Amino acid sequence: MASPAQQLPPGWTAEWDATHQRYLFIETHTGHTQWEPPAAGPELSPQPSVSPPPSHHAKRRQYAAGQTQAYYGVGDSLAAVPQYSAAAPQPQPTQLFTPGLAADGQFQQQQQQPPPYYGGHAEPEYINAPQQPVYPVQPPSQMGVLADQFGQMTMGHKGLRLFTTNLLTSPPEPLELRQPPPEIFLPPNSCLSQSPYANADASYQRCTLNAIPTTNSLLNKSKIPLGLVLTPYRSLKEGEEEVPVVTDTVIARCRRCRTYINPYVQFIDGGNRWRCCMCSLSNEVPQLFDWDQVRNQPGDRWARAELNHGVVEFVAPTEYMVRPPQPAVYIFLIDVSHSAIQSGMVATATRTILENLDRIPDENGRTKVSIIAFDTSLYFFTLPSGGAESSMLVVSDIDDVFLPKPTDLLVNLQEARPALETLLGRLSDMFQDNHTVGSALGPALQAGFQMMAPIGGKIMVLTASLPSIGVGALKNREDPKVLGTPKESGLLQAASPFYKTFAIECSRAQVSVDMFLFSPGYQDVATLACLPHYTAGQTFFYPAFNASRTEDAIKFAHEFGKVLAMPIMLEAVMRVRASKNLRMSSFHGNFFVRSTDLLAMPAVPQDLSYAIEVQIEDTITAPFVVFQTAVLHTTCYGERRIRVVTTALPTTSNLSEVFASADQVAIATLLANKAVERSITHRLEDSRDALFNKMVEVLTAYKASMTAAGAGASAQLAISENLKMLPVLVLGLLKNVGIRQSAQIPPDLRAYAQALLTSLPSQILIPYVYPNFYSLHNMPPECGTVGEHGIIMPPPLPLTSERLERHGLYVIEDGQTIFLWIGRDAVPQLVMDVFNLPSYEVLRGGKTTLPVLDNPFSQRVTAIIQKTREMRRGVYYPHLYIVKEDGEPPLRLWALSCLIQDRADVLPSYQQFISQLKDKVSVNSMPSFAIFNWMFM
Amino acid sequence: MGYAGWLFLFAVLMAAGLLFTAVFFMIMFSDLESDYINPVDLCNKLNQFVLPEHTAHAFLTVLFLISGQFIAFLLNAPLLAFNVRKIMNQNHVYDATEIFRTLEPHKKEIFIKLGFYLLSFFYYLYRMILALVQESP
Ligand SMILES: [Zn+2]
Repeated sequence: MASPAQQLPPGWTAEWDATHQRYLFIETHTGHTQWEPPAAGPELSPQPSVSPPPSHHAKRRQYAAGQTQAYYGVGDSLAAVPQYSAAAPQPQPTQLFTPGLAADGQFQQQQQQPPPYYGGHAEPEYINAPQQPVYPVQPPSQMGVLADQFGQMTMGHKGLRLFTTNLLTSPPEPLELRQPPPEIFLPPNSCLSQSPYANADASYQRCTLNAIPTTNSLLNKSKIPLGLVLTPYRSLKEGEEEVPVVTDTVIARCRRCRTYINPYVQFIDGGNRWRCCMCSLSNEVPQLFDWDQVRNQPGDRWARAELNHGVVEFVAPTEYMVRPPQPAVYIFLIDVSHSAIQSGMVATATRTILENLDRIPDENGRTKVSIIAFDTSLYFFTLPSGGAESSMLVVSDIDDVFLPKPTDLLVNLQEARPALETLLGRLSDMFQDNHTVGSALGPALQAGFQMMAPIGGKIMVLTASLPSIGVGALKNREDPKVLGTPKESGLLQAASPFYKTFAIECSRAQVSVDMFLFSPGYQDVATLACLPHYTAGQTFFYPAFNASRTEDAIKFAHEFGKVLAMPIMLEAVMRVRASKNLRMSSFHGNFFVRSTDLLAMPAVPQDLSYAIEVQIEDTITAPFVVFQTAVLHTTCYGERRIRVVTTALPTTSNLSEVFASADQVAIATLLANKAVERSITHRLEDSRDALFNKMVEVLTAYKASMTAAGAGASAQLAISENLKMLPVLVLGLLKNVGIRQSAQIPPDLRAYAQALLTSLPSQILIPYVYPNFYSLHNMPPECGTVGEHGIIMPPPLPLTSERLERHGLYVIEDGQTIFLWIGRDAVPQLVMDVFNLPSYEVLRGGKTTLPVLDNPFSQRVTAIIQKTREMRRGVYYPHLYIVKEDGEPPLRLWALSCLIQDRADVLPSYQQFISQLKDKVSVNSMPSFAIFNWMFM
Repeated sequence: MGYAGWLFLFAVLMAAGLLFTAVFFMIMFSDLESDYINPVDLCNKLNQFVLPEHTAHAFLTVLFLISGQFIAFLLNAPLLAFNVRKIMNQNHVYDATEIFRTLEPHKKEIFIKLGFYLLSFFYYLYRMILALVQESP
C-alpha cells in the first residue's frame, strides 16, 4: 500500500488503523477523522507526520490512538496530560486573600513562586475534542493516599474505572474542564455502524450520566441529577463536519413509539424488518430503503447516513408539513425615542442591518423584511418594490393598533432592497431631534405580530427604554431596599402578564422574538426576557450603551450582525424520546411546552442550550438505552427537515459505575438551569441552598457507598476523579451574578445573567461559571503564536488572586467579558510593548481596544485576546477592560469577582467552601454512624 | 322549614356545585397530562371558573358569618384566607407557560379542595337534617 504521506495537505496526519487495515486521516486542528484521503491543498506541507502502521494498537479501542494524537499533538500524548503533582499550587495557604484588601506583603510573597507549567501545548476547546479515555491513562498522584478504598476496582474487562480523589488535598485543576466527558462503553454489537459518529457528539447532546442506572433507587443512591443537556442546532466552525442530510425522503420510523431509525436498531428477518431500540417493536423496512434514488439503482443500506451518524437531518416529505415551507421573515422594531437616538443605538443598529443585508439568509429570494420605528407612537415605512424612496406612516392611536396600509409594509428583501437601503441610511437622522421620552413597546409588538402572523418569523426588538404606555407598559420597580432580601426574587418574575400571554400568541403564530436591550436605566429585563424565553428567541443586554465609545458600537454591531446572518430554523417543534421506562419530566430553556413532551419553538437560533430532567420510572432491563431528540423544522431556505440526534448509553446496576460515568460539565449545566428556576419560583436563597445541599448529598452518598469510611468520620472529602471539578463549578454558580448573595446587584443584570445561565451551551456556560485566568507576562514563548491548532493559549491558572504578581499582566475572561489585569509594578517596557504608553501611571483602566503594535509581545497578546473572542461558538463578542491593580474599585472588584476561589465578602473561598461541605457531610453521616455504633455496643 | 334549614339547604347546593367544579378541574388536568387538550386552551377554560368558584365560596362563608353559624364559618375561613391571599399575590390564574412545571402542586391543591368540599357537603347536609328534625316535633 502506498504511503499517503506525500499527498497530505497541511494540518492532516495519517494514522494506521490496525482493525481496518487502512489509513485513518486526521485533521489535527479539529480532531476530525475520515477514511478518505483529504483533498490536497495548494501548498503541500514539507514534512507531513505519518506514523508507520503500528501493530501494538490492535487491542485499543478504535480510533483511540489517533484521537489521543489529535488531542494532544503527535508524539506528545502523555507529556501533555495534566501533571497533577506539578500543577498543584504551593502548599495550601492558610492566609486567605480578600479581594480589595490586598496587602502588599502578600503579593511580594507570591512573586517568589515559580509560575506553574503544564506543558505548553494549546488545548483545543474541550467540546470539539474527540473522545478519548483520559482517566484510565494516568491516575492522579493523590491516588496513593486513598489506597484503602475499594473505589479502584475494575468494572469488568471493558468499562469505566472509578478513581477516588480527596478534595481536601487536590485543588481544582482548570485543564480538567476541557476534558471530554467519561467515555461511553456500549455493550458489544449494540451499534450497527463502526463509524465514530454513530453516537452524537457531546456538543449536541450529553447526559449527566454516561451509564444509566437500571433503577430509580440506584439513581437516588448516587444523588446525581439525571438529565440531558442538548444543543441540537449548533454552529459549525470551519473544518467541522457538516450534519449529513438524508435527501431521499425515505424515513423509517417505529410504528409505535415513532422513533427514527438510528445506528442502534437491529435488523431482523433477513434485513426485511428492524427492531426498535426503544420499544422493541418489530417494524418493516421501507421498500425504498435499499434503493439509491439518485442513480436509480440498488443502494448500500449500510452506507445510509441515518445508520452511521448520531446527528442526521432528514428532508421531510409533505406529511410533515402543515403548510408549504414558509419564507424567512424579519421585522425590526426600532426604538427611536430620545434616549435611543442619543445613545447612538439607532444609528449603529441601522448601519449594522445595512451592512449585513447580504448576510441575512435569503438563498432563494423569498425572505421578507419590515421596519417599524416606535416611541410613544408607531412609525411604519412603505417600501415599494423597485422604488428607491420609502414613505413614513405615523400611527399615534396605540390603544387599538392597526396597520395603516395592507401592502408594501412587509416586503421582499430583494425587491425592496433600494428603498430599504435608503431608509436604513436615513432612519437615525429622521429622528435626530426626537425629544419624545417613553416607549410603546407593547403596541409595536402587536403591530409587528399583525404583520407577520399569517407567515410567522422573527421579530427583532431594539429598545433603550422601559415600555411606558399602551399595553405591556411597565413600572420602574427597582428598589434598592428589596435587593438582598427574600423579596428580591419578585423582581426576577414577570411584572406584567402581557409578556407571557403575548408570547403564547406568538408561539401559536410561529413568531419568535429577540430582544436587544440598551437602557441607560432600569429596563425590567426580567419581564422583557419573557418574550424571547417562551418564543425560543434570545435576549441581549447592553447596559448603558453608548455608541460614541467605539468598543460598545463594535460589540453590538458584531453580535447583532452575527444574529442577522444566523441561519435559523423556523416553525420548529422538538421532542425527546427515550427507551422504555425513561421519562422526560421537566424542561428548561427557551421554548413553550405545548404538551407533556412537545416543545414549540417558532424559530431556533444556533447555539442555544436546553436541559431536560429525566426520570427512571421502572427497572430498565435493556443493556443500553437510547435518547433521541427530533427537531422538525423549516430551514430558512424553505425546506422542511427533521434533525435527529441520537445518543446511546449503557445501563448499569453498579453504583461505582454510575459515579465513574458522571459528566461534571453536564451536571453543572443542568444545575444552573434548576437553580435559576428555583430562584424565580422560590427565593434566591432557596436556590443557593438547593445547590449547596445537592453538592452535600452527592458527597455524602459518595462517602457512604464508595469509601471505606462509609458512615464513619473521615479526614477526607472523597469524590470520584471525574467529579473533582463539580464542587468548584457549584461554587462558581453560587458566586455567579445570577445567583450570588448580594444586595448590590441591579435586578436587570441579575435577570440577564439568569437568561444566560439558562440558555448558554456548556461550552460557553462553563467559562461563565468558572472563568479562564492566564498569566501573560511570563507565558511560555510559544503562547500567542500560531501553532498546530491555531493560536496557542497560555496554560489556565486556578482562579485565585494568589497567582497575581505585582509586576504581572493577566487575562481573566468568562466568555462575556475579558479583563486585562495589570499589576502596579509592571515594568515600563511591558506597558510600552502592550499599550504603547510610557508607564503604568499614565495607563487608564476601563473598556478599551488594544493597539496593534510592531513588537512580538503585543502581537502575541492581541492574538490571545482575539482567540479568546473567537474560540467558542455563539455570537458573543466580549468587551475588553483594562484593570489596573490600584484602579477604580468597582472595576477591580468586578474583575476579582471572577476569581471565584477567593473569599469575597460573605462568599466563601474554595477552601472554606470545601470545609463547609466536609462539615455538612460528616454531620449528615453522623446519625447512621451513631446507630451503627449503638447496634454493635 | 326554618331559617337554618334554608341556609343549609342552600349550602348543600353550593357545596355540590363547588364539588362539581373541583371534579371538572381534576378531569381537565388529567386531560392535559394525556395530551387531549393543549395548555393554552386548558388555562383559558379553567381561568373562567377560578374567580366564580372563589366568589361562590367567599359568599357562602360570609353568609355563615352574618347568620351566626360560627362553626361553619370557622371551617371555611382557612380556605377563604388561602384564596384571598392567592388573589392578592396575583397567582390565582393558571399560567400556560408554567402549567407543566406547576401541574403537581395544582393537582394536589384541587385534590385537597375536592376532599374539603365533599366533607363540607356532608356536614351541611347533616346540619340541614338536624335543623329539620329540631323543627318538626
Ligand atoms: Zn418503537
